[in-house]
Amino acid sequence: MLDLLKALTIGAMFGIGLFQLLRRNVIRSAIGLMVLTNAVNLFLLMTGAYRGRVAAYVTLSGERSDALPQALVLTAIVIGMAGFVLVLAMLYVLALRYRTADADDIDELKH
Amino acid sequence: MPDALLWLPLGLSLIAAGLAALWGLPTVNRRLTNTRAAWLLALMPLAAFLFLLFRLPPVLAGSGLIWRQAWMPSLDITATLYLDGLSMLFALLVSGIGTLVVIYSGYYFRGDAGAWRFLCYLLLFMTTMLGLVLAGDVITLFVFWEGTSVTSFLLIGYKTKDEEARRGAFKALFITGGGGIALLAGLLFMAVLAGGTDYATLLHRRDVLISTPLYPVVLGLIAFCAFTKSAQTPAHIWLPAAMVAPTPASAYLHSATMVKAGVYLLARLYPALGGTELWFAVLTVFGLLTMLTGAYLGLKQNDLKALLAYSTVSQLGAMVMLVGAETAVAFKAVIVGILAHALYKGALFLLVGIVDHETGTRDLRRLGGLRGTMPRTAIVTIPAALSMAGLPPLFGFLAKETLLASVTHPQLPPLIGTLLTAAAVMAGALLLAQAGLLLSDVFFGRPRDPHIHGHEPPRGMLVAPAILTALSLILGLLPEPIPLATLIAVAAKAAYGATVKVSLAIWAGITVPFVLSIVAVSLGGLIWGFRHPLRRRQEALWPWLRLDAVYEGVWQGLMGVARLSTRSQAGQLRRYLILMLLALTTMMLLWGDLPRPTTLGSEPLDDLTLLRVFTLVLATGAAALSIFLVRDFFAILALSVSGLGVAVIMALEPAPDVALVQIVVDLLSVVLLTLALAIIPREQRRRAWEFTFRQTRWGLVRDGLIAGAGGVAIAILTLAALIARPRTSIVTPYYEANAKSLAGASDIVGAIIVDFRGFDTLIEILVFSLGGLGVFALLRYATRRERRQAEMLLASSAGENPSLAPGTSELHDKLVMGIGGIRPSPFIRMLAQVLLPLMMVVAIVQMMYGHEQAGDGFTAGVIISLIIAFWYVAFGYEETRRQLPWLQPFPLVGMALTLALGNGLVAAMLSGSFFGRVDYGQWLGLGLPRGFSFSSSFVFELAICLTVLGGVALMLAALGHPQDKR
Repeated sequence: MLDLLKALTIGAMFGIGLFQLLRRNVIRSAIGLMVLTNAVNLFLLMTGAYRGRVAAYVTLSGERSDALPQALVLTAIVIGMAGFVLVLAMLYVLALRYRTADADDIDELKH
Repeated sequence: MPDALLWLPLGLSLIAAGLAALWGLPTVNRRLTNTRAAWLLALMPLAAFLFLLFRLPPVLAGSGLIWRQAWMPSLDITATLYLDGLSMLFALLVSGIGTLVVIYSGYYFRGDAGAWRFLCYLLLFMTTMLGLVLAGDVITLFVFWEGTSVTSFLLIGYKTKDEEARRGAFKALFITGGGGIALLAGLLFMAVLAGGTDYATLLHRRDVLISTPLYPVVLGLIAFCAFTKSAQTPAHIWLPAAMVAPTPASAYLHSATMVKAGVYLLARLYPALGGTELWFAVLTVFGLLTMLTGAYLGLKQNDLKALLAYSTVSQLGAMVMLVGAETAVAFKAVIVGILAHALYKGALFLLVGIVDHETGTRDLRRLGGLRGTMPRTAIVTIPAALSMAGLPPLFGFLAKETLLASVTHPQLPPLIGTLLTAAAVMAGALLLAQAGLLLSDVFFGRPRDPHIHGHEPPRGMLVAPAILTALSLILGLLPEPIPLATLIAVAAKAAYGATVKVSLAIWAGITVPFVLSIVAVSLGGLIWGFRHPLRRRQEALWPWLRLDAVYEGVWQGLMGVARLSTRSQAGQLRRYLILMLLALTTMMLLWGDLPRPTTLGSEPLDDLTLLRVFTLVLATGAAALSIFLVRDFFAILALSVSGLGVAVIMALEPAPDVALVQIVVDLLSVVLLTLALAIIPREQRRRAWEFTFRQTRWGLVRDGLIAGAGGVAIAILTLAALIARPRTSIVTPYYEANAKSLAGASDIVGAIIVDFRGFDTLIEILVFSLGGLGVFALLRYATRRERRQAEMLLASSAGENPSLAPGTSELHDKLVMGIGGIRPSPFIRMLAQVLLPLMMVVAIVQMMYGHEQAGDGFTAGVIISLIIAFWYVAFGYEETRRQLPWLQPFPLVGMALTLALGNGLVAAMLSGSFFGRVDYGQWLGLGLPRGFSFSSSFVFELAICLTVLGGVALMLAALGHPQDKR
């Protein structure tokens, strides 16, 4: 049952992220990117092989959680943040240069 | 025979290239004139040349020198350098002529402050060319082969502002690069068929290679590559176009060395692929065609460099034809031809460069009678041109005699032999006429254009061509230069496989070649005599026949395809998303083979499960709320809540390390987003809200549909992945078993990050700092622009101009007041000051005990960054910069990356493997608190922390305040 709920959560967050990403308000787009990143990271983390009862520490005994996806997600979060900040910077430049926070006003980027 | 120093020539020329780049620094450039710098730089290739000379005795004795370096052991690939007669001959030419060309370039570019770039490219080319001829295995060969194509591209396009130069450079790269791809395929086929990449294995598997059904494919690929590089018809069109390069490059690359790489490749691989009828047929046909085409077109040219280029094409054709001929004397002719051609053609190019430099033109129709004003240049040119004409007693004569001797060899089938002989005589005659044309119409006769006044170049500029010309003369005059004859014999033997007898006596009695030579000379004299009417006829003949048109056609076609694919990029996010979703759905339906959830399993309904359900709902709900909240700031807060909910889900997984990072990243992202929000003027934000909430119903429905479909697809995919996931791991048990023993860590995740996959992390922090740099670079432009406007605004308000627009007065507020225009209370300021050292302690503890519990360098860096962000809010940009002078983004990032790399290297020295774990504390005998070890992992954590700090400092500096004074 929990698997189904997890799947629904990730799907819902993904959908929300997409919807926000499509807003014309660029700040909403940045928020959407963040939600999308969270959904993907959750997905990656949950594909771990073990039924974790305790954290992945050598000192703990019992069925540990899978350390491998955790390490990967850790990296993904960091890179995700760097990407997010880059998007923020672009947003800032757009706001200054085009004097608008509306994505559809900006049509010169294609060229 | 192993030789541990065989890489030295490459190293020397690479160092020279580095020095040339260093010379590009303005301070160095101002103090050193071009000529002096060139003389100094020439010492390096000269040293390489001398090194090779010292290696001559063992090579002449017939033993090859080998140097090996493990490269990709898992693929069984070793980087090998190999020096035998053939490579020795080429390497001597490359380094020797290279030395002269470097000296010459100093004079050619005198007074040009940008010359360092040319010399840097030239020396880089020398490195790759030396690598190409010294390579001892096909992978090394390929790498350097491509290197020569790229450096050639850079040299041809040296005058980047010249449209024609760019076009020529691209043409050369397009054609030789295409050959490079064929080479890679051909060499890989060979390596797989022969079972090894090393020449030592490859060259002894001829029986395997020529008997496979793939032999025609392999030969086709290799020959195609060699033909593109050595400018065989119809691929020769790039060579005349490459003449837009500065003349030293033309002399060096496009006549003396690089264009012979194709011939070298064929000669090198002859023992493995040659000696078949196909080999003979392909090489003879293309070589013959090229020899005649080049000789014919050369006579037609008015540009001196083009004339020389076409005669080079003709000579390259002759060499390819000879490699096809499979007789001992033919291989002797190839080697002698390469040497003779490099000497006279290199000299002639350099001399044409002098003429061009001193008169301002190289058009045959305008030059003439330069003998009077440039006597020294004329004296040096005469022997070089006579060598090109193939007249005794010059070395070129010998080359032509050997060529004629090999086409009249009795082993050739009579009909083909006659054809080759006739073609060789014809080409020889045409080349003689061109050499005569060059001499008579440039240096003799009357000046044709009264505006042209030649004058002598500086003496140093004549040094290089004079040495080359003198060699042409001396080698022809010496009765029997024994060491040279031995070198030629050894080189020819390396290619041919059997002993080749070489005598360099210029007079061998009245033989068939000698008679043919006389025929060629008389014919050539005749053509020269009637050169003017003949050239006019050539001009009128077949004006429509242009091979370049084919190239243009291919090029236009490619551009058309590119345009077509660009047109499909609408630049609208919505359309991309729809396409991706469609693709994903199709794939899921067609090949997904999704498992059907038969049993979903039920968990006991304990507290933990309830908490899980709660956080899942919380994360989703908060995210959904961010859509409906009208004010951006509240939406950001909702996002933050959602992110923290995700962190709790992670903690319940249980993955405490990930949860911790998620928390700090979530906080920092929200802070940065809020700062960005403060930057966008309120007026703009208000307009954007209106767009968001007064969107047409249809637009909302459309976006909702896309998002909903995406969500459903991902939910199905996730469910399938969760149900079908394997319950055993292959990789994780290794980490679990070795975390303590190899990495000294209890925290397995931490051990993976800084130890097992430390290299990944190194690259990750590099990416992070690049993200910071990207932000910085993007914003530098924007802020500079805004600052200008702000200054104007302040100036106008100082002048008590009441007409301030509503949208701009806000900007004014921001500049004067600080973020959001609010001055924080003294309490907040004190809090900031107290929290900074406290947070630093927390961060250091995080790093020290990161191996035992959750937390790592990244978290530590973000924690410090958070408090610095707080400072930005509390004190504003200027004050923060003033009070925290250590917060210098670039030194921080630089220090961190140096620390990480240095740590890896030190660990490599102490433990034997890069990023291996070394306990410095134990090594130095330090008494440290329990649970903390001063190890390479700790240093790495520190480096990560500093990188993050530097990267975030860049981001904060850029986003933190518009009033920045960079």
